[in-house]
Amino acid sequence: MRLKTSLSKEPKHKELVSCVGWTTADELYSCSDDHQIMKWNLLTSETTPVAKLPDIYPIDFHWFPRSVGGKKQTHAENFVLTSSDGKFHLISKMGRVEKSIEAHCGAVLAGRWNYEGTALVTVGEDGQIKIWSKSGMLRSTLVQQGTPVYSVAWSPDSGKVLYTSGKQLIIKPLQPNAKVLQWKAHDGVILKVDWNSVNDLILSAGEDCKYKVWDSYGRLLYSSQPHEYPITSVAWALDGELFAVGSFHTLRLCDKTGWSYALEKPNTGSIFNIAWSIDGTQIAGACGNGHVIFAHVVEQRWEWKNFEITLTKRRTMEVRNVINDAMDLLEFRDRVIKASLNYGHLVVSTSLQCYVFSTKNWNTPLIFDLKEGTVSLILQAERHFLLIDGGGIYIYSYDGRLISSPKFPGMRTDILNAQSVSLSNDTLVIRDKADEKVIYLFEALTGKPLGDGKPLTHKTEIVEIALDQKGLTNERKIAFIDKNRDLYITSVKRFGKEQKIIKIGTMVHTLAWNDAANILCGLQDTRFTVWYYPNTVYVDKDLLPKTLCEKDASEFSKNPQIVRFVGNQVTIRRADGSLIHLSVSPYPAILHEYISSSKWADAVRLCRFVKDQTMWACLAAMAVANKDMTTAEIAYAAIGEIDKVQYINSIKDLPSKESRMAHILMFSGNIQDAETLLLQAGLIYQAIQVNINLYNWNRALELAVKHKTHVDTVLAYRQKFLEDFGKKETNKQFLQYAEGLEVDWDKIKAKIEMEIAKERERAASTPPVRTSVTVQH
Amino acid sequence: MARELLGGAGLYFDELNKLRVLEPGVAQQTAELREECKAFVDKIAEFQKIVGSLIELVDQLAKAAESEKMKAIGARNLLKSIAKQREAQQQQLQALITEKKMQLERYRVEYETLCKIEADQNEFIDQFIFQK
Repeated sequence: MRLKTSLSKEPKHKELVSCVGWTTADELYSCSDDHQIMKWNLLTSETTPVAKLPDIYPIDFHWFPRSVGGKKQTHAENFVLTSSDGKFHLISKMGRVEKSIEAHCGAVLAGRWNYEGTALVTVGEDGQIKIWSKSGMLRSTLVQQGTPVYSVAWSPDSGKVLYTSGKQLIIKPLQPNAKVLQWKAHDGVILKVDWNSVNDLILSAGEDCKYKVWDSYGRLLYSSQPHEYPITSVAWALDGELFAVGSFHTLRLCDKTGWSYALEKPNTGSIFNIAWSIDGTQIAGACGNGHVIFAHVVEQRWEWKNFEITLTKRRTMEVRNVINDAMDLLEFRDRVIKASLNYGHLVVSTSLQCYVFSTKNWNTPLIFDLKEGTVSLILQAERHFLLIDGGGIYIYSYDGRLISSPKFPGMRTDILNAQSVSLSNDTLVIRDKADEKVIYLFEALTGKPLGDGKPLTHKTEIVEIALDQKGLTNERKIAFIDKNRDLYITSVKRFGKEQKIIKIGTMVHTLAWNDAANILCGLQDTRFTVWYYPNTVYVDKDLLPKTLCEKDASEFSKNPQIVRFVGNQVTIRRADGSLIHLSVSPYPAILHEYISSSKWADAVRLCRFVKDQTMWACLAAMAVANKDMTTAEIAYAAIGEIDKVQYINSIKDLPSKESRMAHILMFSGNIQDAETLLLQAGLIYQAIQVNINLYNWNRALELAVKHKTHVDTVLAYRQKFLEDFGKKETNKQFLQYAEGLEVDWDKIKAKIEMEIAKERERAASTPPVRTSVTVQH
Repeated sequence: MARELLGGAGLYFDELNKLRVLEPGVAQQTAELREECKAFVDKIAEFQKIVGSLIELVDQLAKAAESEKMKAIGARNLLKSIAKQREAQQQQLQALITEKKMQLERYRVEYETLCKIEADQNEFIDQFIFQK
């Protein structure tokens, strides 16, 4: 990625430019010490003076936010301008000063609208922070301190402000008495801060010539090398993927993790202010020598399998097929804003249209118009893709048909990113921003909430979510990482009973599902872990550690991110920005393929060929999950789990299909389901016996009493159990029923024999029905 | 006689017998003086002209010298600052080089991992063939 800068020949302003701000993607306003406000139209490359404000030396400038309360305004209508005489001015787009308000003693150093546009914060040389209403009425003086406040930023929920105090950064909630977070951030005075609303990360820059990235708890994520001159400006791109850094004769483009994509050394003097355009494709900088510098982000790259795509110019992409070195040029009518390459399709959004290319044919894209220009996120699944713009979420098929447009109350699309949204062929999940513990689940094809419409709720805040991509809709799984960096997995389908949310990993920084099989990979602490069959937790939890593949990942340094997991290749981005490719064994994917087409014999042969414990463990879990007990027996034998082999054998000897099913369910730990199944089949005795075997005495007795059968059996077993352990009966219920009941083992055994015979008879009389579930002998 | 008498009264006759109050000799001398004075004045005027042009010339020279001097000072300053400029330029280039180096390092790491993958895959293929 690179910046393509452009500077006009002669500076348009006579004095230093102090601040800039975009109204649309192609229109910029700039203010200068020569008292002029200029408007820059990039389409016609014209510069026109908007207004002259005598006696005002502008310092900071911020447009009123565009989206207010869900209603979209296409243009920003007015802005706040702070000046050195202690006033701030509300100025209309036409340059008319609507209001000038005396705010601070000394210069007003910064003024920011909150994201909803309901409040304005100003900070001054007098060390005060004041909150104002939309119309400029003073609401409160939030802070009074001894040093000037150079910069201020709102938190994503507009409930806190971040400000500078010398070398310290302070986060102060608007509510009184709430906890203030304060830390020493730089070795010099901090000049600029910015807080991104999408990724919740904080940027700071100071006179110690460094810029730093922090999370919202004040933990340092990145600290740059010292530069030659103080850093005078930093700014996040709206989507939070990139940020720009400005200094004397310096403009830098950085990734959100801090490492720098590109450095430019334009002849600008100090860059006092940087603003990103709304579509995130270009930046403008206010230069100390009266120039306004424009810089375009170009040369983004997308890779997928054998294709490599580079955005060479604003409207041109170059596609390279690395297998035969064939080159294709893709030309677009407008500027490219976002693109995504996956599942054999390239989706490109420009300011007006969306293009869908197939990797098989680059010549004839499918083109459709977009409702609103600025797409902020494109996510792809195998059969369709998702576009998010300021107005909503839209799922389109690859032939350009709008499939659905899911909605939920309080939806804010501008803050969704790839970590908080995940799409699969049948499901869409979105992590809510208002309550980060909640995940909304949607059917992708209809856009309706899944099942009973209740969202998935976790006990702590969720950081990252991901859906598996393959397999049946009923078995769709979602993996997510919570705030404590624990990795959980759960089923998306939530009919009736609550599905368990099972923890399968700790200290997980990042995760990704494979595109072709339900294999999950993640970075756990200092290890790279692949869960070859995460579904194991629902089948045989003890087996999970055996289905993992772990590699040392300490060489990836701090905070690596998984970029993609395509085929058997994992791509990881290290904190310094370098890409690392890892290959994982191709066999588990093949095994997944065999299982999905029920080729059990092939699967067993593959495992024998590979001779790997992990593979056998996966096969065992898969076989149990699909209730193929023969294969399960072979697989368990191969990994030496003799107890399980024995149990499987005992299941095979069971007389009827129902009880075999029940025991398979018990095998995977679903005792409740097993009991229900037996009761439904009318096998009361077997249900009671299951509970007895589990020492679940109360339930056994309850069932016996309810169905008026085998009460004596339960009591007999209970008595035997108590005798074995040399204990006395204390349970009141048992005491009550034991009264006047003689335990006669012969009678009981005869009764049990009879029950089993009855079951066998029944099984024989009903003709075997072909079902999807088969238990082979 | 009469001439003496007239002379006594301060009256004289010149060669044209015109009555004069000044002695002809003196008159002649006066006239000569006048002539000489005239010549002198002329000469002085000419001298002044010459001196004027000389001054002008000298002034011009002075101006030229002055401007040359300024130029020299400027050049000297420029020379001094060019060193600084070069230094700044060098610094800028150095920063750009560092940036490129970092990019190169990133590519190197990526290349190494890709090489490793290639080796792994070759090994896998060999193993596969061998086992078959």
